[in-house]
Amino acid sequence: MKEKKGIYQFIIGLMILGIAFILSITVGRYHISIEDFGKILLGRQVDATIKMVFFHLRLPRTIMVILGGMGLGIAGSIYQMIFKNPLATPDIMGVSSGANLGAAIAIIFFTGGSFVLGFTAFLGGLLAVFTAIGLTNLSRDKGISSIVLAGIVITSMAQGIIMMLKYFADPERQLAAIEFWSMGSFAGITLDKLLAVLPFFILGIIILFLLRWQINILSLSDDEGRSLGVNVTVIRTFAIIGSTLVVASIVSVTGLITFIGLMAPHIGRIIRKKNDFNTGIFSGIIGAIILIIADSLARSISSSEIPISILTTFIGAPYLAYLIVTQDRRL
Amino acid sequence: MFLTNLWKRGIVVTLVIALLISVVGCTPKDSTTVDVEDNQEKENVVELAEENVDEEPVEEIRIVDHLGREIVLEKEAERLVSGYYITSSMLIALGLKDNVVGIEAKADTRPIYALTAPELLDLPNVGTAKEFNLEGTIGLEPDLVILPIRLKEAVESLEKLGINVIAVNPEDMDLLKETLAMIGEATGTMERAERLIAYYDGKTEEIEKLVADKERKRVYLGGNSDFLSTATSKMYQNYMIETAGGKNVAGDIDDTYWANISYEQLIAYNPDIIIIAPGASYTKEDVLNDSRLASINAIQNNEVYVMPGDVESWDSPVPSSILGTMWLTSILNGEDYPYDKFVDDAVSFYEDFYNITIDREVFSR
Repeated sequence: MKEKKGIYQFIIGLMILGIAFILSITVGRYHISIEDFGKILLGRQVDATIKMVFFHLRLPRTIMVILGGMGLGIAGSIYQMIFKNPLATPDIMGVSSGANLGAAIAIIFFTGGSFVLGFTAFLGGLLAVFTAIGLTNLSRDKGISSIVLAGIVITSMAQGIIMMLKYFADPERQLAAIEFWSMGSFAGITLDKLLAVLPFFILGIIILFLLRWQINILSLSDDEGRSLGVNVTVIRTFAIIGSTLVVASIVSVTGLITFIGLMAPHIGRIIRKKNDFNTGIFSGIIGAIILIIADSLARSISSSEIPISILTTFIGAPYLAYLIVTQDRRL
Repeated sequence: MFLTNLWKRGIVVTLVIALLISVVGCTPKDSTTVDVEDNQEKENVVELAEENVDEEPVEEIRIVDHLGREIVLEKEAERLVSGYYITSSMLIALGLKDNVVGIEAKADTRPIYALTAPELLDLPNVGTAKEFNLEGTIGLEPDLVILPIRLKEAVESLEKLGINVIAVNPEDMDLLKETLAMIGEATGTMERAERLIAYYDGKTEEIEKLVADKERKRVYLGGNSDFLSTATSKMYQNYMIETAGGKNVAGDIDDTYWANISYEQLIAYNPDIIIIAPGASYTKEDVLNDSRLASINAIQNNEVYVMPGDVESWDSPVPSSILGTMWLTSILNGEDYPYDKFVDDAVSFYEDFYNITIDREVFSR
């Protein structure tokens, strides 16, 4: 009975996501008529510009939004499981701050455009997390508190360097560019960028998927995990690496996206009343739905793009507040 | 244990007492200086009032700045500090470069100084808009400090210390002219300031006549940090495009700052002409080779131009920014105002007002 209910939740979630996807793909600043959509779907000949807009801009952007929402939701959920703390997000290991630092360095020192920026942001995110993992391994106690402390050290160091860079930045352009980057946007997503980050995203998801049973065990206490024959430290490290690949591949092309990583898992748990790997996947669907609504608004409210993090916050927060008030939550 | 606690307490009490003494020691001093200043100000006002009554010629220079403050100078200011690149460039244009004793930080990033007044680069810098160096400025003993209005706090601090400050906000053509007039008045260079203003007015009128009955081409201006950030309706760049006889495609975005748009929006705008802001982090080739933009008129007709920035960035209201409007006019209405004519005008502008001869090759389109 309970299993069945779980499946229904997934089906309903996916249906809502599917509807959101279809609605989202019809929304944009370049007008594509319903007939043209029909022609595209049937593979008929359409105007070259419409084809280019659809296949190189609109579709990649919408797919990136879904991947982004899913990735952040799943990664956030896994962090909350392996750290056994509902306030954990991938940010605590420094991936966002590292990516932010990488982006800031590219904005100030390099002029290679958005690909260089994405590359340095991706590297920054990975480097920050690997440094934090290395720091944890140097500590005598390799438990959760050491990881969290290492994450705090790396995050604050990255933030410190960012502040220094901001201080030296040209306030008219560079400082503004850094600030805008940290508010996130899907406006610059193109097919090339999507294809560039896709392998890393998939690799991260595969790592997490292969570890799904061990991650379920990690959500119990460390001692229980050990007695079940799981090498807690190694599994946790790999789960962190997998999540980091996912998050870094997203934020390197979109900039920081707040709220999804923390709140989607909460919403997922409250609906499913469970805390396991499948809830993580469900949180990913929730994340994708929130993000797709947010991005549809971001690109349609006005001619200028609204930073995505403003909208994710305003859409997700009231819903979470509603759930806190109305639902029973003992997870 | 008890003893150490006692020690600690002793130290704390001593520190608190020391703090109290220093505070008490400072306060009366401060308040007296303020009082003296206040009195002086009152006396000044009284004196002025008396003078006005007598209707004697008043020698003081009175200026109302962009914060609405009234500044009274006893004589023309000689030692000048400029904390803003626009006013620093203005001081050069007004022939005052030998009077400048301090300028804003990062002056070496703006080529106009190296070209026209390299000695300014050796002057002490008074900081940036983020970190203004108050003590350094006071140490220079200036007769007049010129600051942007966003440094309001520094303006107030300097004012309290009895240093003359003008706060300026040259954000558009009118405010630029007002700023020029203020500085001209304060430094006794009004004649030259008026000559500049007359040049602006003359050229603007000429261009307005020239483009009056012309069809307005649709212009997209790519910002310098990102091609997809563009100038909005309340920006100086928008004024330049409209004056030069173009139509800013993003003019419907009602904002005062660069707006980020999407590729889709740009394709929907379909501009006839694309202008890249001076000092952009991307090149004309990047734009021309971007396959996603291929359908846009400007790309198909190869109408992508980079605004020159090797002398000054004309897309901000610097004293030479009229050249930006003129350059744009030559791009948009080349048959009536050919590019070569523009280069002639630009070269003679810098000869007249900045006393330098700029190589024609420095300008480009």
